[in-house]
Amino acid sequence: MPAVKEKELKMLDKAAAEFAKKELAPNREENDMFPFGPFFDTVLQKAFALDFFHLILPESAGGMNQGLTALSRLLENLCQEDSSLGGIVFTTAAAQQIMLEAGSETELGKLADAQTARDCLIGLPVFNNPAEIPNMAEARKNGHTYTLSGTLEYVVLAGVAGHALIPARLEEEEGYSFFLVNLGGAGVEKSEPVLSLGLRACPAVDLQLTNARAALIGEPGRGDAYFTRMADKFHTAAAAMSAGVMKGSFKEALEYARGRFQGGQEIIKWSEVKMLLSNMAVKINNADMIMASACHAVDEGLPGWEQKSSAAALHIQEMACGATTDGVQLMGGVGYMKDYGQEKRMRDAKHMQALLGIAPLKRVKFLEKMIK
Amino acid sequence: MLSRSEIQSFLTEHPDFDDISNGMRSAARFPNKALLKETRKVVALARKFNKEVVIPHALELDRKKQEEHDYLPWEFVQKANEWGFFTMWIPRFFGGRGCSFHSMFYFIEEIASQCLAMANLIGVHYLGAGALFCAWNIRVCNEIFREVAEGEKHEAPCLITAATTEPGAGTDCEETELLDKGTLTCRATRVDGGYRINGSKIFISNGHLSTWHNVVCYEDPERPSETAMLCLVKTGADGFSFGRQENKMGQLACPASELIFRDCFVPDRYVSMNNLQMSGLRGGEKGKTREILSQFFSASRLGVAAFGVGAARGAYQKALRFALNTEVSGKLLINHQWAQNILAEMYKNVASSRLSYIEGADVNGIEGMLRPVYNKPLFYIFKYYPFHWMKPIVNRMLESSLTTRIFRKLQLEWMTEDQLNRNAGWGALAKFMATDAGMKNSHLALELMGQAGVRHDREAEKIFRDAKLLQIYEGTNQLNRQCLFESFIGRHYPQVRVYEHES
Repeated sequence: MPAVKEKELKMLDKAAAEFAKKELAPNREENDMFPFGPFFDTVLQKAFALDFFHLILPESAGGMNQGLTALSRLLENLCQEDSSLGGIVFTTAAAQQIMLEAGSETELGKLADAQTARDCLIGLPVFNNPAEIPNMAEARKNGHTYTLSGTLEYVVLAGVAGHALIPARLEEEEGYSFFLVNLGGAGVEKSEPVLSLGLRACPAVDLQLTNARAALIGEPGRGDAYFTRMADKFHTAAAAMSAGVMKGSFKEALEYARGRFQGGQEIIKWSEVKMLLSNMAVKINNADMIMASACHAVDEGLPGWEQKSSAAALHIQEMACGATTDGVQLMGGVGYMKDYGQEKRMRDAKHMQALLGIAPLKRVKFLEKMIK
Repeated sequence: MLSRSEIQSFLTEHPDFDDISNGMRSAARFPNKALLKETRKVVALARKFNKEVVIPHALELDRKKQEEHDYLPWEFVQKANEWGFFTMWIPRFFGGRGCSFHSMFYFIEEIASQCLAMANLIGVHYLGAGALFCAWNIRVCNEIFREVAEGEKHEAPCLITAATTEPGAGTDCEETELLDKGTLTCRATRVDGGYRINGSKIFISNGHLSTWHNVVCYEDPERPSETAMLCLVKTGADGFSFGRQENKMGQLACPASELIFRDCFVPDRYVSMNNLQMSGLRGGEKGKTREILSQFFSASRLGVAAFGVGAARGAYQKALRFALNTEVSGKLLINHQWAQNILAEMYKNVASSRLSYIEGADVNGIEGMLRPVYNKPLFYIFKYYPFHWMKPIVNRMLESSLTTRIFRKLQLEWMTEDQLNRNAGWGALAKFMATDAGMKNSHLALELMGQAGVRHDREAEKIFRDAKLLQIYEGTNQLNRQCLFESFIGRHYPQVRVYEHES
């Protein structure tokens, strides 16, 4: 990697880590109370001011023109302290990527030019691969405009964002298409925020659309192609989030093990505790190597980059689920309480494993793509 | 052919045949027909309770606790009391319904398969009851259990807790070898007519909901294994107060409480075990503490194993329902071969873990804490004798110090080292096997369900949050592995040392 680029990334690392420690860690428990507590708008606005939501956009769309490596570094650092903001950045960036794949830079530029963080966010049902689900919204063409009708489950950010990118089937068209919907418009009904396992400050709602006006993104029937191209890249970003949460869990557990006495000595001196911590550390080291390789492959478009990206996510997400479960275990009853970040990390890691589709199905698809 | 002595010699080789044949040995000794008949009834009752009470309220209660941290589920406690679940496994001669402990473990699994927190809320009452049993102070047992029975009759639930864990001592409280190295602070000071207790207990399940608390405290916290004592403190007693309800990830309907004691007076009448009471029994103070702790955890860990099986089964059932009703990539998920095999794996985790708690219950009934109620003649007497007609005589007998002495002789003196190890080993094995299965299945269910798995309203994520606690309480699963090693492996080799500082 060129030295200038590496220097830029290190600066991003530092800024993201400082932001996470200063803005996310102190109010982690309070922010996680959503929907029973307030949404963390102030933090969101600060992240917006730092251009966290403009990272991957081209300069022509008001962005910073950074690649997947930069996005992954940002996400990893944020998720070490609290994954919810990471989830918001990921969802918006994934929607932006779909729009970029569809060539909708102009619409994207308008959204990116928003004055508030909420208006800049884009909702997306980012936990589903639309090609895998049976019931999709239906789109109807009326002259030059489109209307959407139907129910969509778990549209991330749709309760707080100005717009959402919605997959829908057009009458008499093969496949599906993406549409941009103004969430404040007529015909859009949002449920209460869905109470979820993790990422609670990255909320989702169920949407009921009734002839809601929408703008077609890209070409009709090409939704799956756009989604797949986005997912191929964003598997790496999802892996980065899991790597971050795993690192946060390890740090917390290590610190606790050094200070907690049982059996007459610091628990870190018991070899079984060392073994558990070591297993976590090995996973983290492996995750670092995998992430470096995957980011490089994706950004450089190396042959087989799609496989590397997908394999990174499948493996690191699984490792993070195990490691964060052990992270709670190492702290015993204290780890299970909300006073520390540990139980939240365990929930967040499991939640993130479901990003971009059902985990075991993603494995099956991985091989199918490989042998095609 | 082999001679008697040869058979004996071969069978005591590692693994000792008695360690691995509990089911067969119990089949020869237990009143099997009656046990089966009773267990079938209890399981059916649990399923009816699930249908009418647990399933309609489990999610709502979990959500309410997230919204309103200090909420206490009194309505559920009242319901469980109405259904008789707080006396169901208390012997009839103490005023209870006298069901067998085998049926309790099956019952716990049933309730836990629908809601771990509600199962815990009922089960933890028996953890408190177990703490009473294991000291074998029959007079105290009689008084407290009769109050529980009265509470059932008068719709005023009377629950019992076991209060062991302290802020500085979690694992240390659960293993005699660690006890003396721990930082224990709950002190009992001898005063006229009783003791004054100072200190606090944390993570006490059901604390805020209970009437009686079995408090483990120490006359000299510097020598806890030699000076451990058990006493009963009633909610409302001077010097006793509740601290906060812990802010847990899961099992929310069952509060975990902080108990605070400031010069709390406990009259001698409510000291269920101390050195004075135990003097004259073989084994010395430390030996008795070890034996009581061992007997307690051997039984209580089977209960936690049943919770674990319930969690594993709940996760399996949610995943199965999802797979049966959800179309993925053009066909029902249940018809994807990979999904079928994940479900098969989950089923296996449930079935194999269940066997472990049954095996543990068998050995406990043959030669553990529960053995007095599994002896065939006693079983039938305890089950059918009209104790209520002869209440004054029965009471006088139970309050006699001779009865306590006989039970203590039987339970604490005549139990061999092999029997103690067998019980401890199976309790530990079942606990970590079943609770690991609970966690494993929770992970698998969420993976199989994708987006639906992370939503509260689809029920699986609650099991994931609830199940994790099972790997931690009643001894972490790491401690339980040590316990198994010590009980089944280490004891055969003189060079083995456990809990030795390594650096």
